[in-house]
Amino acid sequence: MKRVPLDRWVVQLQPPRNPRLGLVQQRCPYSHETRAAPRRELQERRYRVEHQWQCQRRSAATSKRKASSAAAAQVQERDDGIFSNYRQEETDETRPLNSPSPKQALRSAKLSALHARLSLPSKLPIQTLARCLVDGSVDPRPGYNNEPLALIGQDLLGYYTAEWLLCRYPRLPMPILFAAQYAYVGSQTLAAMRAEWGVEVVAAPGPEVDPGLLQLKRLPAGNAMAENDQMRSPLVLNSTSLSHSSRPTEDGSSVEAASASFIRALAGALYLHAGQESVKAFHQNHVLSRHLPLHTLFHFTHPTRDVSRLCAREGFEPPVARLISETGRLSRSPVFVVGVYSGDDKLGEGAGSSLNEGRVRAAASALRSWYLYSPVEDDVVLPSEAATKKKQWKPQMIDIGEVVT
Amino acid sequence: MPLAAIRAVSKGQNGIGAFVLQCKRLDFHYCDWAGSSRGMNEYLRTHLARFAASNPSIEVTVSPKPRQHPVIKGVYVNGREKAICVRNMTPAEIINKVQLLKTDSGEKMKKSHRAGRNMVTSINESVRGVWDPFHRTGERFKI
Repeated sequence: MKRVPLDRWVVQLQPPRNPRLGLVQQRCPYSHETRAAPRRELQERRYRVEHQWQCQRRSAATSKRKASSAAAAQVQERDDGIFSNYRQEETDETRPLNSPSPKQALRSAKLSALHARLSLPSKLPIQTLARCLVDGSVDPRPGYNNEPLALIGQDLLGYYTAEWLLCRYPRLPMPILFAAQYAYVGSQTLAAMRAEWGVEVVAAPGPEVDPGLLQLKRLPAGNAMAENDQMRSPLVLNSTSLSHSSRPTEDGSSVEAASASFIRALAGALYLHAGQESVKAFHQNHVLSRHLPLHTLFHFTHPTRDVSRLCAREGFEPPVARLISETGRLSRSPVFVVGVYSGDDKLGEGAGSSLNEGRVRAAASALRSWYLYSPVEDDVVLPSEAATKKKQWKPQMIDIGEVVT
Repeated sequence: MPLAAIRAVSKGQNGIGAFVLQCKRLDFHYCDWAGSSRGMNEYLRTHLARFAASNPSIEVTVSPKPRQHPVIKGVYVNGREKAICVRNMTPAEIINKVQLLKTDSGEKMKKSHRAGRNMVTSINESVRGVWDPFHRTGERFKI
């Protein structure tokens, strides 16, 4: 039976839900641990969070960023609660801005060209598009960077992809499901998408650069990436290795993480400004239209054993491998075509250079065709489609799970 | 571990779903003095504004390049550039060149036929599969 680890299901595909949890963990108010070094850093951060409204007033943000600013305001209120424990006397020094002011957005040719190139709805203002391009490593104020928007966008993109995969391929095993989700909306894919949209990255952030570039402070050279990036191994052995790259810090952020956060923020901004239909169209056009051969994601170790377990579970006759055709048995390059049969039904077919290889490949092909079963197109109704009354809801098929867990 | 997944990244297919115009910027360089820029200057005065308004997804920049022939340079999404020298051309000819740069994919020019054989490019794997006698090391069977 398929056991769904709920905590993994929710958490693994998402970064930490509250981006400020990372701050709190560094100095827990209830812990007795005293650490000298991070304290100054924490004070600086607290200072920046407390003063962001003053900076905002000074720079006189335009009233056009209604929805996104309102979202940021709620985040800010929660922040004040979190950081009230550390409230101390305030100082007057302010940090110079490291990113272009939102006022410059309307004058940027790159931004309006990007807006038109992606055929974004006119409800999404240019200023919000500019804000989506500001990474947290450049501007730590949540009211100005794309982190709050990226949180919403991440949830939406993950949800739409997951429901599409689950309804379309109800028998996908969990590791394959996670890998497919990573292949559609993982940070590597989103980074490639950013490049395909023609969005360039700034060489170095500053207030004078064009707001149409991805604003990001690059990580300093070092081996920090190598330490926490074991996820680059070709095999995804479990879902924990699918966890996302780290959040942007003061030190900098990788281009991949910043690109992913830009696209997620754009999805979030579309949701806030133009509604759910608009995000669904965005997801359909830019994410689901990408090419992903799902059958190449499987990595079987014992396919013949799995096929016989499957047949036993489903009450089929035990599988038998039979030779369908062969050529060049005594030559240097023989080919054997082997089929796996259950009674009279052929479950799978494979060709190999030895009888055993053909059998193993045939078993793998039988398993692939079992796992990649897809219901008839008319029977697939996504929950989000039913929620918007686009389609009449039909109960969707739920499989009892992988063959061997 | 009975079943593991292989990490993959989905491939974009421009035009299936969203279409993103591959030309992202056009730079127009002209000279006020030299005679070879006469047609270009007229194009900039009379046609360019209309072109820019009807193609909002292309960023248009105009800059002087004194004592040089006029050049139109296209910058593409894949990072490549294509430059066309438009010296002594009439505005009608320049319109064609601009159209050429706008609709270009930015890819390097390639022959579609190579050594008498058709080059077939597809992202789908062949139905029959490619058989090879030398399998990957460390694995007995390539499944």
